[in-house]
Amino acid sequence: MKFQQATESTPGLEEAYRIGLQALRAEDKPHINAANTRSLRGSVDIDAAFQTIEPHANRWDFAIAYKHTNRDDECVYWVEMHTAADSEVKVVIKKAMWLRNWLKNTGKLLADFECDIVWVSSGATSFTLSAPQQKQMAQVGLQHRGSVLRIPDKRGG
Amino acid sequence: MNETVTLEIKNVGQIKDASLTFGDLTVFVGPQATGKSIALQLLKLAIDAGQVQDEMGRYGLDWSGRLPDFLDAYFGEGMHAIWTDKSSIDWQGRAMDLEQIARRKRKAKDENLFFIPAQRVLTLRDGWPRPFTDYTPGDPFAVREFSEKLRVLVEKELGSASLFPQVRRLKREFRNLLERDVFSKYALKIDKVRSQKRLVLGTEIEGENLPYMVWSAGQREFVPLLLGFYWLMPPTKVSRRSQIEWVVLEELEMGLHPRAISVVLLLVFELVVRGYRVCLSTHSSQVLDALWALKHLSENGGTAKALLDVFDAPKTPPMLKLAQDMMSKVRKAYYFDKGTGVVHDISALEPSAEEDGEAGWGGLSEFSGRASAAVASAVANVNRQPSK
Repeated sequence: MKFQQATESTPGLEEAYRIGLQALRAEDKPHINAANTRSLRGSVDIDAAFQTIEPHANRWDFAIAYKHTNRDDECVYWVEMHTAADSEVKVVIKKAMWLRNWLKNTGKLLADFECDIVWVSSGATSFTLSAPQQKQMAQVGLQHRGSVLRIPDKRGG
Repeated sequence: MNETVTLEIKNVGQIKDASLTFGDLTVFVGPQATGKSIALQLLKLAIDAGQVQDEMGRYGLDWSGRLPDFLDAYFGEGMHAIWTDKSSIDWQGRAMDLEQIARRKRKAKDENLFFIPAQRVLTLRDGWPRPFTDYTPGDPFAVREFSEKLRVLVEKELGSASLFPQVRRLKREFRNLLERDVFSKYALKIDKVRSQKRLVLGTEIEGENLPYMVWSAGQREFVPLLLGFYWLMPPTKVSRRSQIEWVVLEELEMGLHPRAISVVLLLVFELVVRGYRVCLSTHSSQVLDALWALKHLSENGGTAKALLDVFDAPKTPPMLKLAQDMMSKVRKAYYFDKGTGVVHDISALEPSAEEDGEAGWGGLSEFSGRASAAVASAVANVNRQPSK
């Protein structure tokens, strides 16, 4: 199944699919650097889609699909644009837990894509994670990728 | 900081291209065998050529005006190969002619740079510092010279039977931290077996001493370093030793637990605040963590108390003053890149920098970063049922 079809078949996201990076806010687009923009397979604003359904939840921001040259299927980058600060680590971990819970239940179709769950710093970054913080985040599948998410043509691993 | 000091090295040993500007505190990082120690020894030569020639001559080293022999005597046996036709060094913007330094005796002058080498543990044998002449001619000058300094310090200057704790050399706070994190309940003393003096760790029981060979690895590494700090902190009202302006400390972390590294870093700050320019090489990410904290605390109105929190150090007036003074000092960091031989300025210490060398702080945080990335990727994909 393709990302677009999986998105349009997921409750709450039926109308949320956008081509390229169009689901992202203008100010967030410079934080995404895809090696080949033609390989972008669409995006979804999760936060906006669930604003009315789950107004008080720690909702995740975006999903971006990309077709790497060394993968048969599309991969999904679950992106949280968030201020880089020590005090925010717990908040972003909560959001990642919300995302993983949602993928396990409502978003099962999207959970089948190979993915990264990444925190991208929304402002100027003067931030480094301590080893324990990195490990806490890793344990919920979350990685910090600085202020720009670089999506390479070939996916590692 | 008084003045800008620069050293440019091209095609010397593993170093292809290094443009170094020194701060009050300068840190070199990079994998093994990338030229950090060569750069530090060249700095010593640039500053102290006359004193180096003098010392080598005094102890009977004869290089007959030949550069390869001079390089072997100075850097250690076989090291003449680091210098080729393409090699060059600029010190303060002026070419340094090593051929000429080897050929012609420079005017003797006081030593300006004190070098604490990575091999410092070798300077004690059976618990006593070895004299310069105890080494083979192929051993590096920096090790022999440091060893000789310790011998003079212990035999002629310290005198008293108790070397640690010693009231007049270190602040009380440092003594307490070293007791807590390095020496535990032991005291460093001079003991005598028949006519032979030796350093021992004394226990609380009178006459029960631990000889050198039963010390922990960290204590064996730390004692020569402590004596080096004693050399640099004379017990008088003057804050620095005679003409010494520079201190090189290689691999300060050797054999030490992170808590002990924190204390050594504070001692390094003490040297910087006393007016020494200090250059370190390190494989410890803790050193760059400390530099990073200093940078952002000083840029963001952080307090001296916050800086001392980083080191788990007491917030007494002398330590608060030390931390406050350290905030305004100029700090530089360089990454010695093994792949290219180029030395990169990573003083910004920006973890999201585009350059991997800077983002990974010269490889010091690579492993931890890779471990976290691997686990994060596995966890993120744990429930996936990939399409066939």
